[in-house]
Amino acid sequence: MMQAAPNTIEIPAGATPTDHWDSVRILAMLTDKLVELDAAARPQPALALAWQSDMNGKRWQFTLRHGIRFHDGSPASAASIAKILGDLHSDWIVRGAGDTLTIESDYPLPSLLAELSLPRNAILKRNTDALPVGTGPFRVAEFQPGRHLKLAANEESWAGRPFADAIEIDLGRSLRDQSIAFELGKTDVIEAPPQASANSGRFRTSLPVELMALVFPASTRAQDVRLRDALALAINRKPIQSGLLRGAGEPAGAILPNWMTGYAAVFPTQTDLQRAKAVLADSRQPALTLSYDPRDPQAQLIADRIALNAREAGITVQVSLSGTADLSLVRVVLPSPDPATSLREVARALGLQQPMIRGNSVDDLYAAERALLEGHNVIPLFHLPVASAAGTRVHNWDPARTGDWNLSTAWLEAP
Amino acid sequence: MSFRKKLLLLFAATVFLCVVVISASVWSTMRSSFEGANEERANAIAAQFRSEFQRRGDEVVRKVEAVTATETVQRIALEVNRGASDSGSYVGEARSLADQQHLDFLELVDHQGSILSSSQWQAKFGYPEPAIPSAIGSAGGFLKREELPNGSTLGLFAVRAARVGEQPLYVIGGERLDQGFLSTLDIPAGTRVLLYQNLEEKWDPKSLLDLNGPAAGADKIAPLVEQVRRTGQEAHRVIGWSASSADAETFDAMPLNGPNQKLLGVLLVGSSRRPLVELQGKVVSTALLVGGSGILVAVVASLWFAARVTRPVGSLAEAARRVAVGDLAAKVDIDSSDELGELASAFNRMTEDLVQQKERTLQAERVAAWRELARRLAHELKNPLFPLQVTVENLVRAKEKAPEMFEEVFRESTATLLAEINNLKAIIGRFSEFARMPQPQRKPVQLNDVVQSVLRVFQAQLQEKSQIAVRTELEAGLPEISADPDLLHRAISNLVMNAIDALPQGGAITVRTQSVDGAVEMSVSDTGSGLTPEECERLFTPYYTTKQHGTGLGLAIVQSVVSDHGGKISVESTKEKGTTFRIDLPREER
Repeated sequence: MMQAAPNTIEIPAGATPTDHWDSVRILAMLTDKLVELDAAARPQPALALAWQSDMNGKRWQFTLRHGIRFHDGSPASAASIAKILGDLHSDWIVRGAGDTLTIESDYPLPSLLAELSLPRNAILKRNTDALPVGTGPFRVAEFQPGRHLKLAANEESWAGRPFADAIEIDLGRSLRDQSIAFELGKTDVIEAPPQASANSGRFRTSLPVELMALVFPASTRAQDVRLRDALALAINRKPIQSGLLRGAGEPAGAILPNWMTGYAAVFPTQTDLQRAKAVLADSRQPALTLSYDPRDPQAQLIADRIALNAREAGITVQVSLSGTADLSLVRVVLPSPDPATSLREVARALGLQQPMIRGNSVDDLYAAERALLEGHNVIPLFHLPVASAAGTRVHNWDPARTGDWNLSTAWLEAP
Repeated sequence: MSFRKKLLLLFAATVFLCVVVISASVWSTMRSSFEGANEERANAIAAQFRSEFQRRGDEVVRKVEAVTATETVQRIALEVNRGASDSGSYVGEARSLADQQHLDFLELVDHQGSILSSSQWQAKFGYPEPAIPSAIGSAGGFLKREELPNGSTLGLFAVRAARVGEQPLYVIGGERLDQGFLSTLDIPAGTRVLLYQNLEEKWDPKSLLDLNGPAAGADKIAPLVEQVRRTGQEAHRVIGWSASSADAETFDAMPLNGPNQKLLGVLLVGSSRRPLVELQGKVVSTALLVGGSGILVAVVASLWFAARVTRPVGSLAEAARRVAVGDLAAKVDIDSSDELGELASAFNRMTEDLVQQKERTLQAERVAAWRELARRLAHELKNPLFPLQVTVENLVRAKEKAPEMFEEVFRESTATLLAEINNLKAIIGRFSEFARMPQPQRKPVQLNDVVQSVLRVFQAQLQEKSQIAVRTELEAGLPEISADPDLLHRAISNLVMNAIDALPQGGAITVRTQSVDGAVEMSVSDTGSGLTPEECERLFTPYYTTKQHGTGLGLAIVQSVVSDHGGKISVESTKEKGTTFRIDLPREER
């Protein structure tokens, strides 16, 4: 079961984390990418078995698996894959010949492998019904937009036929409905609210792969950096985590979680009301409106709590969904285990300037993130995991730590 | 102002004052009765409010006690006593408990006053509940200001404690005190109830509620609410909503306090003043009608009464005017037997007496005139008679004693006798002439011409008396008058002759003419020794003279001529300075 109720199977622009993960999970079962990254951001072969680049990273050459076919039986040749990637990236020159695919660019592409591992670079075609035709372990058997999706096992999957013959996914089911159905044994796998512990019983919780943050748009009335600084100091993240997030996630002062960078603790998350008041001093600050994603069941309470915290520091924050907000409570996905890629993607998603990452070192990354947080245009709040639960009939289920369901290896106990 | 008008005004003023006094009395009584009824109504609604407040408070207490007794609250109380949880563990508990008991507000608060769970503001867990210290001892419902994410509101709350261990868990529940609460009150027609939720430090119009939500025109009620906020006491005020006083309302404002006597709200009972204004309008209309009718009646009555009083008075006044102009036959015909009747009788008697007195005076004057005439005649005739007597006696004596001289004496005596007889004839002729004064034969006359004609007559005489200077100041272009030039000539001649006689030692005579207000004035002045006031008074009396050989008829003739021409003659004289005779003659015949 899934919360999202997509009418098409794709990752729409501006997707919420819920939409994102639903689409990613579905596409992950239908498609492959040239390269995957593991939780340590190390590239792993997928459709590409091997790769190499020139010294400056402008030309990459991939050796593809041989004999791969799409679900419609057409060969997933280097040429066809080159066309798919070329359509996605007009600034690349993508060529395919035999089992070799080359990607060239006028500028260095040091993070090309991480880019290719992103869901948007999944290798897929669209059939006449605009349904995705990939090379993954499952194919689309039936799709009722917004309601139901049935996947069937891809007998010719290059990774081997999945154990499950088919997977039926009910779309648009709330977490509560999913939980009830799960408790009644009417479903085998559900999405779940993030849990405090990573893996407890039937629940599986990923690494923190989402960022919850406050973002100030360019039109905000909070133009005074002191106001944004005071608000960042006034927010008490701990009660929100323990009370509203049920202990899940990690208070965040950084955009990227600690598991990606190792330096997240350097960015402070402590509340300091005295300093917040001192920062504001006697300055006259405008009342701010705070919006949130109404589809996020926890967002309103968290927004209310932030408004309460702000009030203690003397900042008036009104939670409202109407009108132009001065700041928004948002959740964005950290789409890649690669920190630089995720930092760029998060900056893009939040409408921030693209980070200037000068090298591949942690210091370079830290400097870029520090620069991104200067001025408090974004106030990181929490790094959140995603959680799932599988019923007792499900065996050998090993969801990825980055949130994918990875159902191709799971098998079901006969009823 | 006439007596009739005064009487009319007196009557009208009396009626008007009576109507005003009665109307004002009715107005005042009605107003005080209305205000009293309003106050009673406001007190009844306030009592009803308090009763409803008590009833709803008891209901809230019952619901909070029910929540306190739930297994959920007991479990949380137990866990809190064990210290096994933090403030964020029960975020959603209060809302589900509140939903079960249909409470608008519910909070679970630990013994330190920290909110564990709040139904109305779920995010508020961990924050202190400020009402706990003062509200713990409250057995019933109490007012409390409740902070909400989108503002504040007023609620009727109750608090109970779940005592599972040593540390109590407080359950504070409540219901909104807003327009919904007001709608439960039984409000009589023409009355409305408003509730001001005293949530802000300053006046907030949105906090004034009626049955439909925020009340319209709240700003007009602001001063009344501010008065209650400032004094903490009840207050009342009349508030007008438009130019029409019928749209005004009388508001009674009563403070609503919390457990610590802090003012949390103001109950306002508004009563329409339309009934009072309409009643007052009727009183005014009635007063105007009665007043108008009264004034009309007063006018009629005053006219009747004035007629009763002023007509006889008017008759008396008219009769008095007639008497004043000499009509002594004027009579007042009044039949009444009151004071006016007596006054009229007295007036009539007075006129009768005047007539009799006038007749007596006339007779006396006639007698006196005849006596004066006789005296004058005797005086005038005595002078010539004495020489006649002496002459005749001389003739007799001459006949008897000296016949030789008789012829000579006879001639001399006859001459004397003839002279004296002529003198007697002249005297008799003047008297006869005065008796035969003719009526004027009018025609257009230029007075200056007459004056100059007279002066020409006296020119020779005046030239003989060179010590008398004659000056003329005749206005050029003097309008013509209608007059008898011969009579005027005679009158002016008499005046000039008198002036000459008044200047035996010489002097000046001035003759003036001028036009004055449609009349023509002529004066003759001399610089003689002048006359005494007594002489001036008697100057025009016939046969009165100040001269040694005058007949006393000259000025009488002048006065007669002037009078016959509709004019008048006057004299001004100053002793030793001279005398001026002034004649005013109308231009047209009267």
